[in-house]
Amino acid sequence: MKRLDLRLLRLIKNSKGQFIAITILVIVGLTIYTALSTAIVNLEDTLNYYYDEKNFAHIFVQSTKIPESALNKVKKINGVKEVEGRVVFDIKMESDNSDEKVKARIVSISDNSSINKLHIVDGNEIETKNKDAIVIEQFANARNIKINDTIKPYIEGRIFDLRVSGISASPEYVYLMEDEQSLLPMPDKFGIIFVSEEFARQNFGFKDSFNEILITVKDKEHMDRIKDQVENELDQYGIKRIYDRDDQLSNRMVTEEIIGVKQMSSTIPVIFLGVAAVIIAAMLSRMVRNDRMSIGVLKALGYSNMSILIHYTKFSILIGLIGSIFGVILGTILSSSMAKLYAQFFNIPMLKFKLYYGYMFTAISLSITFCTIAGIWGARRVLKILPAESMRPEPPKQGGRVFLDKATIIWKRLSFSWKMVLRNIFRNKKRFLFISSGIAMTFAITLMPSVLNDASKDMFDSHYSEFQKMEYNINFNVPLSINTVNEIKHIIDVERIEPKIEFPFEIVYGNSKMATNIIGLSSNTEFYGFKNMNGQSIDLPSEGIVLSEGLARFIGVQKGDKIKIKTFIPNKDDVYVEVKDIIKQSLGTNGYMNIETMSNELLNKNLITGVYIDSSDDVKGKLENVKNISSIQSLQDMRAVFEEFMGLMMASISMMILFAGILGFAIVYNSTVMNIAERRLEFSSLRVMGFSKHQIFKIITKENAVMTVFGIILGIPLGQFMMSSLEKTFSIELYTIDMSPTLSSYIITAVITIVFVVIAQLATYKKINKLDFIEALKNRIS
Amino acid sequence: MDNDVLMKVGNLSKKYRMGEITVNALQEVSFEIKEGEFVVILGPSGSGKSTLLNILGGMDKPSTGEVLLRDEKITDYSDKELTNYRRDKVGFVFQFYNLMANLTSKENVELATEICEGPMDIDEILVDVGLGERKEHFPSQMSGGEQQRVAIARAVAKNPLLLLCDEPTGALDFQTGISILSLLNKINKQYNKTIIIITHNSPIANMGDRIIKMRSGKIIENSVNPNPIEPERIVW
Ligand SMILES: Nc1ncnc2c1ncn2[C@@H]1O[C@H](COP(=O)(O)OP(=O)(O)O)[C@@H](O)[C@H]1O
Ligand SMILES: [Mg+2]
Repeated sequence: MKRLDLRLLRLIKNSKGQFIAITILVIVGLTIYTALSTAIVNLEDTLNYYYDEKNFAHIFVQSTKIPESALNKVKKINGVKEVEGRVVFDIKMESDNSDEKVKARIVSISDNSSINKLHIVDGNEIETKNKDAIVIEQFANARNIKINDTIKPYIEGRIFDLRVSGISASPEYVYLMEDEQSLLPMPDKFGIIFVSEEFARQNFGFKDSFNEILITVKDKEHMDRIKDQVENELDQYGIKRIYDRDDQLSNRMVTEEIIGVKQMSSTIPVIFLGVAAVIIAAMLSRMVRNDRMSIGVLKALGYSNMSILIHYTKFSILIGLIGSIFGVILGTILSSSMAKLYAQFFNIPMLKFKLYYGYMFTAISLSITFCTIAGIWGARRVLKILPAESMRPEPPKQGGRVFLDKATIIWKRLSFSWKMVLRNIFRNKKRFLFISSGIAMTFAITLMPSVLNDASKDMFDSHYSEFQKMEYNINFNVPLSINTVNEIKHIIDVERIEPKIEFPFEIVYGNSKMATNIIGLSSNTEFYGFKNMNGQSIDLPSEGIVLSEGLARFIGVQKGDKIKIKTFIPNKDDVYVEVKDIIKQSLGTNGYMNIETMSNELLNKNLITGVYIDSSDDVKGKLENVKNISSIQSLQDMRAVFEEFMGLMMASISMMILFAGILGFAIVYNSTVMNIAERRLEFSSLRVMGFSKHQIFKIITKENAVMTVFGIILGIPLGQFMMSSLEKTFSIELYTIDMSPTLSSYIITAVITIVFVVIAQLATYKKINKLDFIEALKNRIS
Repeated sequence: MDNDVLMKVGNLSKKYRMGEITVNALQEVSFEIKEGEFVVILGPSGSGKSTLLNILGGMDKPSTGEVLLRDEKITDYSDKELTNYRRDKVGFVFQFYNLMANLTSKENVELATEICEGPMDIDEILVDVGLGERKEHFPSQMSGGEQQRVAIARAVAKNPLLLLCDEPTGALDFQTGISILSLLNKINKQYNKTIIIITHNSPIANMGDRIIKMRSGKIIENSVNPNPIEPERIVW
């Protein structure tokens, strides 16, 4: 081995703690990268394969009633491949526990269904047409439904006993969620039941007609044109909604999750590699500075600038190489179980897994590039060292007073060791700033998960107590007359009741559009507290519309713009309204209008689709079996949903804390160790002067304390900056996270940061203990 | 040029600029050195000795003037040529030894030889400098004198044309200093190496074949010593 390389290896051996700490950062970063990228691309492949295999529909049409004969007209549209009709209804399920509210969507399937084919995982197809049903897998698992069990749906006021003939997965319900308003899948509360077409038609009163149509197309390029033509063709039958795969709830959720994971798989490794790069650059630059004389000797011996630069850069290349090899191996090992986990989570009943060598290659080159650049950057001073100069002892550091000396009143009160500490800090401002910024970075990174945790709690509080204040949200099966409000008042005692209209529309602005529910509310509503983006309370305007921030962001509208509301109701034209304001809404996306304006402009007069209630009466018990009421949601229900959501959130937050911990510790440990290594001579002199190890340790502790406090103070604005950029990436159309850290998250983060410093400090204690001061002073060897 | 002239220095000047002030570290210095000579440059601290030696060794460039090694004008060299020159033609010995802390004495010598052309046998040299038994020792396990022997071995093993020693005894006690000087003397005689050593210690000058005295960046005396004394007889 080359002697220079041997020297490098021994250098690494001497600073193995740091070397390992940085390498671990690289390993973690690349493990995450390789595992997530490989898993997610496989998941995507699998999903597409699944969709192809099961012939997942491209276009979905929902209406009140479409005669079978209309299907032929759709089939004739240029570019349409297949068309199928079906009957779909959301119903209640009879449950042993009367408090529990279980719902299901009945979906009809015919013998020759070729679109959205099921993937039966247990049992068989429907055998007896009016007795059998197939249950979606997630629901069956969550409710422990077995083959041949009896399930009891309420259909049109009657309980049916259906035998479970099969349990199946479906490409349409990979992500099983009731509607856009749901926060997350609740497979024990909402499921899909597939019944025969005959059974559905007979019991829902759909002889020779359907209420949903599935369409596949020959060429996805023409999707929009085909959609328009389908809409024209079926307009007379009253279309509620027409949407394509991109807007299909399950597909959209899965796609969004995939995008989220992809984003994570590229940002997390970059953060880790970035931090590693910064530490490497700092470490090498200090190393080169301390090795000034050795570098001079090497140059005197005839080593070229390039070979010395490479010598130091090899340190970082080695980190990059070892880190990426371990990272890629670990990541590859993890990737298949990750892919399995994802497939399971999304209920994709198959998995096509293969290794993507491209990601391994990217991982290794990414890491080596990062580390090499950091290494060259850190060691670049090698070039500037002149051999003749380097032999000359460095001019002594300027001693003397620091500006604090001048603040005599304070200065006089300080103990000797504090004076020494402060002098040290002020004389080595660069080092002080370096360590403090390391601590600041740690603080900022650690702040993230803590704030995220708070933010999600806040999200719930602000959404369900400040934004929506109703105790119950009741929806009807069909639009009813405004008089229903009075009828409900007869059934239960209410403290307050308000009518509402909630109806799906498509909101169009320029080239962007989004299907969403517009909610019509009484002008003096007390159930909603609207706040504009400046946090000021506003009233619902009598004209125009207000939009939730997520929606406004998604379609890119601003206050004062005019948007088009596209309606699916027959004989109604599209309407243009002005966006009067944009309001804060953390969960979901909606538009809000005055109820009268909405019914005049968008719907038929005096019909409402539900009511909001405050009541201490037994609302659920008394209204549950009332005809035409399709759902009663209480604040408790929402809270339960949210708690589950929080559980998921906490799991990912713990992961982030772990990552933040690794990062934070690596930063603090490295900067503290560098600090000690660099000051061997100084500490040795102190030892000679009669300071005990303990006293020196105390001085360092005090120095670190000052730097930690300073670092934390620096970390606050840094953390806030990181939060605001994170806020933008985390807020998607479905929810908006408000990430303003609270005092308690600052305090918790500060405590964690201090713990890191203390642990790193203990590691340095060992170094001071081992410090052989005589030797350090005896030889000015380098 | 005489065949036995190894190095010729002509009108060499070096100015350092430090803001307003200009330090004339070397002023119009000229002299010649013959093959195999043992040259001692003597002068008080700050007289420009190190500056001169660094320029001769290709570690620094003069402001004006020229240095010729045989027929090569090293003052015209590019940085790359200077690196090669340091690698193959000269060996340095410094006051503070400047060994690599984490290489053993043998490895320190190998560090120098593995990049140069036609190095000498390392083990032999280590025996010659009296360190046959300490090949595997690290600098921190050796005394100053021993470390300086390693440094000398490192410089000699490259088989350079010229050995440049900047205050090689400056950090050593008297007895050790003498032993280092006699080692250098031995190398001068045994391997017939041209050696230039710098010192501010006038008794040492008496061992040189040629004595160059410097003051304030100028040569005040350049004389050939007809009777160089043995290092063992030096006292200070
Ligand atoms: N890099 C430098 N910058 C400024 N002045 C220098 C530099 N190097 C040397 N000098 C000055 O040049 C003069 C000669 O220095 P030097 O050659 O080191 O003397 P010596 O080795 O004889 O003690 C001194 O006055 C010194 O201060
Ligand atoms: Mg000198």
